[in-house]
Amino acid sequence: MARRKPAPRARKSTPLRTMLKSNLHLLIYTLIHAIFGLYVRLRMAYHAIYDRLLAVLYYHHRTPDLIRNDVKALSRLPEHLSVVLTLHDNGDRDAALEELVNDVGELSAWCASAGIPLLSVYERTGILKSYIPQTHTAITRTLHAYFNPTPPSLPPSLSIRSPSHPSYSPPPSHPSSPSTPPIDADVPAPEAPHLNLLLLSATDGRNTIVDLTKTLADMSQRGKISPSDIGAELVDAEISESVMGEPDLLVVFGPRVVLEGYPPWQVRLTEIFHVPDNSEGVGYQVFLRALHRYAKAQMRFGR
Amino acid sequence: MSSSLHLSQIRKWFLQSPPAEWAVQHVRELLLGAMRQGAVPQHVAFVMDGNRRFARSHQIEPIEGHNLGFEALAKILEVCYKIGVKVVTIYAFSIENFKRTKYEVDALMDMAKVKLSQLAQHGELLERYGARMEFLGQKEMVRPDVLDAIENAIKMTSGNSRAVLNICAPYTSRDEITTAIRNTVVDYTKPIQNSTKRPFSESHIARNIRARQLGTVTEGDEDAHNDFARLDDEEWNYTPSNPESKAAFDRIVSIATENIRSSQEDDVSFANSFGRKAGCLILERLKNPSLDEDEKKEAVTATLGYISSTAFAELLSLAERIQDWSPQPDLGSSASTTLYLSSSDPPSAPAAPPVNYPDPETITADVLTAHTFTGAHTPPLDLLIRTSGVERLSDFMLWQCHETTEIVFLECMWPEFDLWHFMPVLLEWQWRRRKESQEQRKRGRSKLD
Repeated sequence: MARRKPAPRARKSTPLRTMLKSNLHLLIYTLIHAIFGLYVRLRMAYHAIYDRLLAVLYYHHRTPDLIRNDVKALSRLPEHLSVVLTLHDNGDRDAALEELVNDVGELSAWCASAGIPLLSVYERTGILKSYIPQTHTAITRTLHAYFNPTPPSLPPSLSIRSPSHPSYSPPPSHPSSPSTPPIDADVPAPEAPHLNLLLLSATDGRNTIVDLTKTLADMSQRGKISPSDIGAELVDAEISESVMGEPDLLVVFGPRVVLEGYPPWQVRLTEIFHVPDNSEGVGYQVFLRALHRYAKAQMRFGR
Repeated sequence: MSSSLHLSQIRKWFLQSPPAEWAVQHVRELLLGAMRQGAVPQHVAFVMDGNRRFARSHQIEPIEGHNLGFEALAKILEVCYKIGVKVVTIYAFSIENFKRTKYEVDALMDMAKVKLSQLAQHGELLERYGARMEFLGQKEMVRPDVLDAIENAIKMTSGNSRAVLNICAPYTSRDEITTAIRNTVVDYTKPIQNSTKRPFSESHIARNIRARQLGTVTEGDEDAHNDFARLDDEEWNYTPSNPESKAAFDRIVSIATENIRSSQEDDVSFANSFGRKAGCLILERLKNPSLDEDEKKEAVTATLGYISSTAFAELLSLAERIQDWSPQPDLGSSASTTLYLSSSDPPSAPAAPPVNYPDPETITADVLTAHTFTGAHTPPLDLLIRTSGVERLSDFMLWQCHETTEIVFLECMWPEFDLWHFMPVLLEWQWRRRKESQEQRKRGRSKLD
């Protein structure tokens, strides 16, 4: 790395002395990093075991009731949950895509069970945006798998939107349509919850702001607005309209917090949660810990 | 309780004894020197959160907490500059902080005034490390006397060029982004000043193209071009005074426009801008008593490129209906030119040359980055550290930190933050860079195989 330049007012230092000093520094650097590398590996192992333990203790068993039970005690839930996912594209794109769809499906089911009405999924490449109908089918299948064992609760309806696409929510095709009378007429059929899924990609971040600037510059050139009309409220209104509002909670499923181009305007006050050294990817215990953290509640071992 | 207090006092006494101080000093120097051997983040940002909470938990005045926070800042700045960080950005005061009690805001401002001059003084921290102080945010929102102190500190350190200290006050990132958008729009609404005027004019080229397309007409063509050129420069002020004349003139203009459009392959804008001028020109020819009917037709053909005889007959009759036309001086003579030029009316607004603006499509994220407070030349933000366990960005550096920046939330309060809290973060950052470069090398090698 860059050698230290002799400070202007340093003592007269001989080249030998400088060399010895920098050699000593290099030695200490190597030593520190050797120890630190060991420490990081130990920490990772500890975290991995801890996370694994939590994952065993808190498992959803694909049962909405269990999930509901897990979040029952929380004082507040986010209205809008946002997550950062990564496409693990190691050459096999289909497998990576399948994994991603799977993760989004699980997340949707957890949100629907916990009662979070809006889930936005940020994935840098935006690959899901080009498969919205397929994604919808896959997630609906997951939702049915979760909600079917408990007949009184209908599987939630789902609509998928992305900033550049209109909302996609085909009418439900399963038999539980209003025409079939409820079995128990006295108890009104519980209304199926609705989940909105928003797909975001890198183009919904800076690019949106750039596009807005282009439009504003164009309008200003044609004398339709004056630059002094541009304020934070106007920008906020436009950006919220075209992409989304501010999420309440952002869960980063990577091992550390790097936003990877997540929409900057909207993360202003969002609580950002991550599990240090998370190696499991999208795990239910991470989701649950995020919700606990958001509600400022302690999570104890076991239910 | 008392024993722990006792212990901490003994520890303090020990650490402050000369030999211990000397040793600690040397260990620090050695550590910092060692850190320089690896990759060092070029731009680090701090959210100095937790001063008030620290004060509350230690039962001291909030302002005392801020004071301790400043001490911590000075120490951390020294560490940063020593290991070779180029830019340190700190969140000192949010626009939202003005909502705190007046007492606290005033106390903070007073403190800022003193500390700023302290930082910037000769021989003090910033000068020792060649750091320039910059203020990011809405400076005009602070008290005038504090603003003076700010300006003074900026001036005193402006000669330093090895490092930068960005102080964000009063700052919010949304305000920064909005300002960047606004300034970009202002920039793009400034007409392009052609410093070196090109010797070609658009209208001249358009006219030349027209002349080539109207190749069938040779005679009078040249005249027509000159006429158009003249019309370009000078304002034709024929305004019909009665409705009948107006209707007739409008019809002439529409015939002329129609004709130009058909010969220009539907170049609508050209036809529309020249239609009225061509109409005036035709009227001038038709009203010229010295020309006979054939000559008039030839002149009109020269102007429009082509005219059917029915259309020409209509034009003639229309010209008859216009009574208030005052004969213009002969267009061909040079005398008329001087007459025109001497006319007192300056060109009115519609005749002003079209203003050239930069193309908004050329706006990119980099253009906006250049308009942010940190500007285009600040290295990308490598590390953002927030103390006090709050896991939010709180409207800080949103534009700068949402891509590759590592965001680290620490549990300690800002006054407690020191080298020993900073070191693990730094080490981990270096460790990751090392791992990344190793992986890259491995991938490069496997590609070569």
